[in-house]
Amino acid sequence: MNTLRTLQDILIRDYGLTGERLCADAVLTELGLDSLSVLELMFKIEDRFHVTISGDTPTDLVTVNDVVRYIDGLLSAAS
Amino acid sequence: MKRRVAITGLGVAAPLGRNMDELFSNLVAGRSAIRRLTLARGERLRSPIGAVADFDGSTHFSDVRLRMLDRVSQLALVAAAQAIADSRLDFTVESRERCGVCVGTSMGGAETSDDGYFTLYGEHSERIKPYSVLAAMSNAPAAWIGIDYGLSGPNLTYSTACSSSAVAIGEAANKIRCGEVDVMLAGGAEAPLAFGVLRAWEAMRTLASMDPLDASASCRPFSQTRTGLVLGEGAAFVALEDWQHAMARGAVIHAEFAGYGLTSDIAHITKPSIEGQANAMRAALRSAQLDTGAIDYINAHGTATMQNDAVETEAIKAVFGNRAHSIPVSSTKSMHGHLLGAAGALEFVIAVAALRHGIVPPTMHLNVADPVCDLDYVVDHARSGLALRSVMSNSFAFGGTNAVLIAEAARTHNPRLS
Repeated sequence: MNTLRTLQDILIRDYGLTGERLCADAVLTELGLDSLSVLELMFKIEDRFHVTISGDTPTDLVTVNDVVRYIDGLLSAAS
Repeated sequence: MKRRVAITGLGVAAPLGRNMDELFSNLVAGRSAIRRLTLARGERLRSPIGAVADFDGSTHFSDVRLRMLDRVSQLALVAAAQAIADSRLDFTVESRERCGVCVGTSMGGAETSDDGYFTLYGEHSERIKPYSVLAAMSNAPAAWIGIDYGLSGPNLTYSTACSSSAVAIGEAANKIRCGEVDVMLAGGAEAPLAFGVLRAWEAMRTLASMDPLDASASCRPFSQTRTGLVLGEGAAFVALEDWQHAMARGAVIHAEFAGYGLTSDIAHITKPSIEGQANAMRAALRSAQLDTGAIDYINAHGTATMQNDAVETEAIKAVFGNRAHSIPVSSTKSMHGHLLGAAGALEFVIAVAALRHGIVPPTMHLNVADPVCDLDYVVDHARSGLALRSVMSNSFAFGGTNAVLIAEAARTHNPRLS
């Protein structure tokens, strides 16, 4: 499963969002995820992607795709 | 001149009732919501009982929203929504700054705190939820109600332990009386059925033992066999409004908010005082401009602790004299448990329902009379067909803040103010 699909799966399962709203361009706040919800999402990301987020979470994550790119960055740094 | 205050909406999310009708019919039938709890680590409790609200937040809120709301705020929002629907208030046509919210809660978002501490100290994890502070803070229920309905007047939270929501309703009514605002949503919410909270209450030795034969009969106010209180969860709200404001929009007025008495025991952090409680009842009567002969029902604080029930009985006798024995007094906590900060609001809406229906709900499980508790406690069976004029609801508290509320049957013409 690619990064976007896995992230979509988290958002569907844990946040009750529906698949059709979760395109890559979807804006997180429009999905109901404010900055604190995005911080909480990082716990799920650590578990599902087996990565460790150290230090501050970036504050410039606006869209679903921004999160995908952030995760891909973590994965490549870990490998 | 002080303005009159109308009660135009009632709402609950409580043990025995997902709405007012369900709650009141269950109380009149003498049903108890108290039962053995199923919760994580419950096996470590000496007496794992409580009164649970039949309430699933996921049927009312989206998953995203639920992550921001402790159960206490979920219960508050649902009960407040009912009170608003019942009142038929339309805030889009009201002056928002003339509308506000007063909420009473003793423990706020206790479940969130309990979960957070377990994460930190139990699981030794740093993953405390980012919403913990905002979900646990005591003013979250009031804040969310104000935000959801756009009420930009006062938004206040009172925490005076078990009298919190009686204080919230009384203070809200006073704001309308003095002309500061026109409409207030007032009530209380509590969600204390988390392991850490239950264990802390147990440590104080104030909780009832579980009845070995029937857990639902564990709370026995005024009985010689009473062993303590049983914690419950839930929320109750009233829509209060300036009488003329209610009349002008053709609202159904359930009752008049007649009086509010507030005193402090200044005696001991837990032990109640006869004088403090009696003075609160007297202050409420003065506030309502009623004499003792006008009160036809008292919903007692009646916690089922040894101390409270004996002291409250003495206080009622001190205020009402010979008439004390002919006033029906019931403790509905025998059925819905002790909702702590939400208790005063829940019991006030029950008293208003009693007034409207002419039915006094019973005190259940009073199986052995206590010689020092010798009033008419309406044992086991509700009393119906009564023409109730005014009803009193007592709320007392650790810390000593005594709050008494009086509601009077709605009359368009009020001779007291003419």
